[in-house]
Amino acid sequence: MSQHSVEQVEVAPGEVVTQHLVEVPMSPSRRIGIGAAIVVIGLIAAVLLGKSAGSSSTRFDLNGSGADLTVPTFSVPGTGLIIACGVVIIALGVVQIVRGFGKRALRYVGIAVALLFIVAFLTWAGTEGKQSVQVGSLLQQTLFLATPLILGSMAGLMCEKTGVINVAIEGQMLFGAFAGALFGTIASNWLGLLAAVIIGGLAGALLAVFAIKFTVNQVILGVVINAFALGLTGYLYDAVMANDATSTNQPAVFNPIKIPLLGDIPVVGSLLFNQTIITYLMYVIVIVIDVMLLRSRWGLRTRAVGEHPKAADTVGINVLRLRYRNVILGGCIAGLAGAALTIGSVGQFNKNMTSGQGFIALAALIFGRWTPRGALGASIFFGFASALQTALSLLATPVKIDSNLLQMLPYLATIFAVAGLVGRVRAPAADGEPYVKG
Amino acid sequence: MRPVIKIAAVGAVAAMALAGCGSKPAENNAGGGSGTGGAQGSASGKKISACMVLDTGGVDDKSFNENSWAGMQAASKANPNITVKYVPSNSGSDYTPNLTKYAQGGCDTVIGVGGLMGDAMKKAAQQFPKVHFAEIDNSGQGMPNMYGIEYNTAQAGFLAGYLAAGMSKSGTVGTWGGLSIPPVTIYMDGFWEGVQYYNKQKSKSVKVLGWNEKNQKGGTFSGSFTDQNKGKSITQAMVSQGADIVFPVAGASGLGAGAAAAASAGKLNLIWVDTDGCESAANYCKYFISSATKNLSGGVETYLKAAADGTFPTGNYVGTLKDDGVGLAPYHNFDGKVPADLKKEIDQVKADIISGKIKVTSPSQPK
Repeated sequence: MSQHSVEQVEVAPGEVVTQHLVEVPMSPSRRIGIGAAIVVIGLIAAVLLGKSAGSSSTRFDLNGSGADLTVPTFSVPGTGLIIACGVVIIALGVVQIVRGFGKRALRYVGIAVALLFIVAFLTWAGTEGKQSVQVGSLLQQTLFLATPLILGSMAGLMCEKTGVINVAIEGQMLFGAFAGALFGTIASNWLGLLAAVIIGGLAGALLAVFAIKFTVNQVILGVVINAFALGLTGYLYDAVMANDATSTNQPAVFNPIKIPLLGDIPVVGSLLFNQTIITYLMYVIVIVIDVMLLRSRWGLRTRAVGEHPKAADTVGINVLRLRYRNVILGGCIAGLAGAALTIGSVGQFNKNMTSGQGFIALAALIFGRWTPRGALGASIFFGFASALQTALSLLATPVKIDSNLLQMLPYLATIFAVAGLVGRVRAPAADGEPYVKG
Repeated sequence: MRPVIKIAAVGAVAAMALAGCGSKPAENNAGGGSGTGGAQGSASGKKISACMVLDTGGVDDKSFNENSWAGMQAASKANPNITVKYVPSNSGSDYTPNLTKYAQGGCDTVIGVGGLMGDAMKKAAQQFPKVHFAEIDNSGQGMPNMYGIEYNTAQAGFLAGYLAAGMSKSGTVGTWGGLSIPPVTIYMDGFWEGVQYYNKQKSKSVKVLGWNEKNQKGGTFSGSFTDQNKGKSITQAMVSQGADIVFPVAGASGLGAGAAAAASAGKLNLIWVDTDGCESAANYCKYFISSATKNLSGGVETYLKAAADGTFPTGNYVGTLKDDGVGLAPYHNFDGKVPADLKKEIDQVKADIISGKIKVTSPSQPK
């Protein structure tokens, strides 16, 4: 069943390359394994959830807060919908076992299975009928919690695509959060935003100098920069902010800006187009990186340097300069991620306020296979898991769920996803390898 | 490669040194001996040196470290014969070295702040039987030379719950914590009980989101005491389920609830925890109906007073509503908004808890 397709790809302006894509068919054992896993997920939904569900119908509320146009809440027959979702999942699994989906189709099947399971699960959670399931709020909180993660993973992507490991996202975010709060209070939140980006860029430059010029082990370097950021911002917090919060640590928070027309679409509008400037910047950054990485001269060179710096050098690309530029830009984006926490959200800094989100962003980058879309998806997934954890704990679910188990949810889901859906993960070949000319 | 390694090492050392700076100077003397500034108090009893080992938050954490240290300063001010000093801990691994240093360094009593120090305190108490130890938020652990300073914060939470139920317009209130550990959930237990008591008295059905004392394994937690963003998210999720009053028990993570209140345009109000929110998180004062407090400084001061008067107390002190060890902070901005009847009822509930007429049932209460 090998498929063969020809594609014209413009790798740089004016340079069109014809790619012959040959899809190698999946081995039967892998095909059946994946199919069986999907069937098991379907069985969990249909049998486990279907059986333990309460007797009430589930009420869904798709409206988030702050929506002008609302859609009415609606009820669905709980058990019926759960079993229906489960049956469809099982059917998809059976098709996979019998004849197998193509590689691209399988990806959509995976997404469909995940969505169906989530629908079944949310329906199940609401079958006690006491509260409605606030889907709108759940999605809003997902985007809210995912925004710093998305920016953080883009920061990591900028560095790692060009061959420098960035374990210091956490520290760069912390610097950005601090600078945003401090300068946002002293001057204005716009200057706070600028300061966060600049300070983040400086932290990126620190990483760049030691990693590129002094060829220090990049993982150790990242850990050291994180300790440095935690120590320095903690010290400055004690020295500057703790005793005079009013004039140093109370920045104005960016207000949501509603985009005309788009913001008026029910459900989606208030979710995506009634956001702060930082969230809009995040949209732009993700799109720009995604497009540029595959379709610009800069993107081609960045990938070349990340995969095979020697070859890139041979054709006249300045490897070190490109690495410097990308790592510093990455730091700027991480600084913006930090600003999203202070001036984009809570309006004050506290010690260690990033609380490990930089590491989650790094995990999202790896989970997303070092691609912009993958990292975006993984960050949203982590944000969703975190928001879902809260939403579930507030609902009277048919079966009581241990809060510690809920805390585990994002990580548990990651293990399943990495094991089942992603398959082999490959970093840029020269990731973490210092380039020494000669 | 040699110089590279050197540079990396220097960088690492510099980073560690700065990380160490994170919690203020290593040691501090304050209060001083008689004559240096304790003009208000009069020296009485014997001279004692009291030394405090702080936890990782630092002396100006606006929470338990700061309040515990305030108790030391107050005792020293009232009685100049009490000399006080403190040392912060940068991490859990500093507990034992700090305790040992003070126990060997001529301190008559060493006070540890925070229940996390329990094991290290017990070992130190065994090693230095002549030094008197005291630990805040933990029992004396049966040691003859160790005193436990504990608080039954379920009682304060109870009042907060009753107040929240009485003030809620939507009929739904919420509480969430940092981690699912007894010092946190005891407040949430009390809060839940307070709401249930209100419902019983008034035949109402105010709902509590985020915690149920009957299901100690459930509940809503941010998983952190530092992640404000998650705190804001949780609080907003509670608002979407109808809550109009939220009681966060999560240190700095709880400040995120303040941001959620600020963004809610007056729909959401809060009750703060541990300290009077209008002092410790003054920027959010206008959203705080009140605070469920524990009087750490009072506990420390009373202990030192007794010690200076001649005998180091042993066993446990449990702060309760009765001795104002725990309580409800002033209403501040809400003074005019809380109905007089509700205030009266809360005073009555307080009296009933003290007299034992109302039984607080939280399983996390200190014995």
